[in-house]
Amino acid sequence: MNTKADVVIIGGGIIGASCAFFLSQKGLNIHLVERHFPASGTSRACDGLVLLLDKGPGAELALGKMSLGLWNQLDEMLDADFGFERAGTIMLAEEDAQQKAGQEKAEMIKQSGQRAELLDSQALQGLEPELAPDLAGGVLFPDDLQVDPRRATLAMLASAQKKGVTVHTDSEVLDIKREPQGYQRICAVVTQKAEISTPTVICAAGVWSKQVVQMVGIDLPIKPRKGHILVAAKRPGFIKHPLLEGGYVSTVQSAADDLQVAFVAETTRTGTILLGSSRQFVGDDRTVSLNVIQAIASRASRFLPRLGNTQIIRSYAGLRPWSPDHLPLIGPVQSVPGLYLATGHEGAGIGLAPVTGKLVSDWITDAVESELAAAFHPDRFFKT
Amino acid sequence: MKTTELAVAGAGPGGLSGAITAAQAGVQVTLLDEYHLPGGQYLRGALQKNHAPAISRTEARSRKLLEQLPSQSIDLKTGTSVWGIEGHRLALHSALGTEWLTAKKIIIATGAREFVTPFPGWTLPGVMTLGAAQILAKEHGILPGKRILLAGSGPLLLAAASVLSETGHGATVLEVLEATHPLTWMNHALALQGNLDRLREGWHYAKAMLRKGVPYRFGYAVVSAEGTDRLTSVIVSKIDRQGKRIPKSERALSVDTLCIGFGFVPNIELTQLAGCAHEYFPECGGWVPLTDETFQTSIPGIYAIGETAGIGGAYSAMLQGQIAGLEVALELGKLNEEEFRQAYLPIKRQLGPLKRFSVMLNALFRPNPALDALITEETTICRCEQVRAGEVRRAIHQGAHTLSELKNWVPVGQGHCQGRTCGPLLARLISSETGRPAREIGCFRPRPPVKPIPLGALGRLPGEDNL
Repeated sequence: MNTKADVVIIGGGIIGASCAFFLSQKGLNIHLVERHFPASGTSRACDGLVLLLDKGPGAELALGKMSLGLWNQLDEMLDADFGFERAGTIMLAEEDAQQKAGQEKAEMIKQSGQRAELLDSQALQGLEPELAPDLAGGVLFPDDLQVDPRRATLAMLASAQKKGVTVHTDSEVLDIKREPQGYQRICAVVTQKAEISTPTVICAAGVWSKQVVQMVGIDLPIKPRKGHILVAAKRPGFIKHPLLEGGYVSTVQSAADDLQVAFVAETTRTGTILLGSSRQFVGDDRTVSLNVIQAIASRASRFLPRLGNTQIIRSYAGLRPWSPDHLPLIGPVQSVPGLYLATGHEGAGIGLAPVTGKLVSDWITDAVESELAAAFHPDRFFKT
Repeated sequence: MKTTELAVAGAGPGGLSGAITAAQAGVQVTLLDEYHLPGGQYLRGALQKNHAPAISRTEARSRKLLEQLPSQSIDLKTGTSVWGIEGHRLALHSALGTEWLTAKKIIIATGAREFVTPFPGWTLPGVMTLGAAQILAKEHGILPGKRILLAGSGPLLLAAASVLSETGHGATVLEVLEATHPLTWMNHALALQGNLDRLREGWHYAKAMLRKGVPYRFGYAVVSAEGTDRLTSVIVSKIDRQGKRIPKSERALSVDTLCIGFGFVPNIELTQLAGCAHEYFPECGGWVPLTDETFQTSIPGIYAIGETAGIGGAYSAMLQGQIAGLEVALELGKLNEEEFRQAYLPIKRQLGPLKRFSVMLNALFRPNPALDALITEETTICRCEQVRAGEVRRAIHQGAHTLSELKNWVPVGQGHCQGRTCGPLLARLISSETGRPAREIGCFRPRPPVKPIPLGALGRLPGEDNL
């Protein structure tokens, strides 16, 4: 099959779906190709927290804030229940030193115009009576959100499809062709089922982006970083907010090769509790490691001792696309005309999905020249 | 960390046989079972009360294994579930806590679970599986109700009917409804050769039915179970040889208990978790691990026997256990080649006719896909998350053509049972709606813990630092 498109998006996860959603509003002929089926990779193996507290000051926080705003708009725009909740989050401090760090974090968030509320030990117990009584305190971030990543992906794709986006599933990209002469602009995407002529390609293949852009000779510095999540049996209302320990941010920022574990908990729509989190570099292996789920369970028991009798019914592991500076790669690649990247979000992909789709679609239809866009420009890794 | 030479997961006839064979050859064996007594489902209740003469060689022999067990130097750990497996390391859970067990060789003999094709009302209290009713009768000597109807297909229907009819206590088994037609059985008569013992068991059960005068009707199925809070009646209908309802043949029966079952599905969670290669063989009951002639899976040192390796009955499981036990002893240097061969060859010869027989049974009693027409849009498919057939069929029509993809649309396989109940059923539905073969539809991929364990117990499992 031969067909034509204005833009081909590679990857049917939440980032690709968001790109499709925002581009579909601009009246372009969009095709999205997905190796398996929508949300079959990282977007079905992650948690659904939309956080600001893990963002560094400056551009990253600004990007996160924009995305938070877009998620709130999407709740109105998307004609589907995707588990959207204005749940807020509580960051927990085990000791006073951590609480002090939390206070600084709260100040930073407040300066950006979002809410943050410092909780002492007593206030924390009042909000979350099931937490261990020895915690020093915490910070409530009331504006943080929660979504169901898989449903959100499907909802954005469904909306895009209604506006004419074509989705090719079971379509692995075999080749990306470039014009033989001149600027060697991209001219086609080849899958085992179709050859799609297109001047523009967005690589939104997450962990697998490295292999995709290798086809046009680009070496991406993205590495898979594995994360595990445990699913506890239904306990609706056991915790009132998504919770995460203060150490979460430093485990994310750490580039250590060994296992990093930090407590994260959220209640899903069905009432099950998701418990995380872990980060480790172990290549492409997606099998669940018993040692890692043991470590997560042990950490969760420390913060929620009375959850000890609740049964763990399953676990899963997914790969997050890690980038060396912990920032996503969003925008054009100068050396390959027609190629745009939307990848490298590691564990922040769900939260940053809307702003990523928005930025990429702006890059494609208008030249974007903002400080914000410059901070995430992929060319920061390809100095010529 | 604890170590052993051979860990056997499952102490049914197959696991018992494997463990005893290996132990007798001098292998250090740890035998694990999640129930608090050994014997598996086949020998359920045998330890407490089965002092009557055995009805078949199979029963006699499996009971003998149980009797032999205390005199063997086998570390028996009952009430212990295996919830994870990583390389040759097993993660165990019991009332005493969680622990690791590392084994040089592992035999997985986790048996099978029952398969039920649903119909409206099948989740009402008062409706249960044949196996559940049999446990009540065999182990506790009680019956689940007063007016009992049995329906479904296959050998367990006959066995359960016999056990329930004989338990008595003022309860009545009204009728037994077998979905297949005896005429179709004739095509399979050749497989009976060499299977006298299995016929003997069947005849024993049939005699009990005749004695009690319980009608055993062929070509009937339950169309719906009725009742508001619990079962009060069922509608039954004649079905033709293609499994289709015969119009105007319905009648209502006033019952308080309905026991249903359409055969078995192999429990392959542990072989899946271990990374063994699997294939879909309908004549084996569905997805099974691929094994060689000594029942070794594609992962060296991990063996799968009995129902786990393909539905084949207790006798076949015992022979397979013996072979795997001998092979383990050979591999660990407890037997030499000659000793192995002398013991192995006579057992191997017996397996041929057994295999023919089980393939015949599985083909004959495999629930006819036409029975899926009884599943109305309102029928619950996933009991954990209350997903109805209508939602599943809509998802299939919208493009969910594998079990994995179906999870994107409906919350199946994500509840408490982790898809053990609905998985094979959903695969059938996808197959009948799309015409896709079962092997392309796939099966749910289990992840640890394969059986739920408390968070606190998981957290207390000795971590990496303490190994």
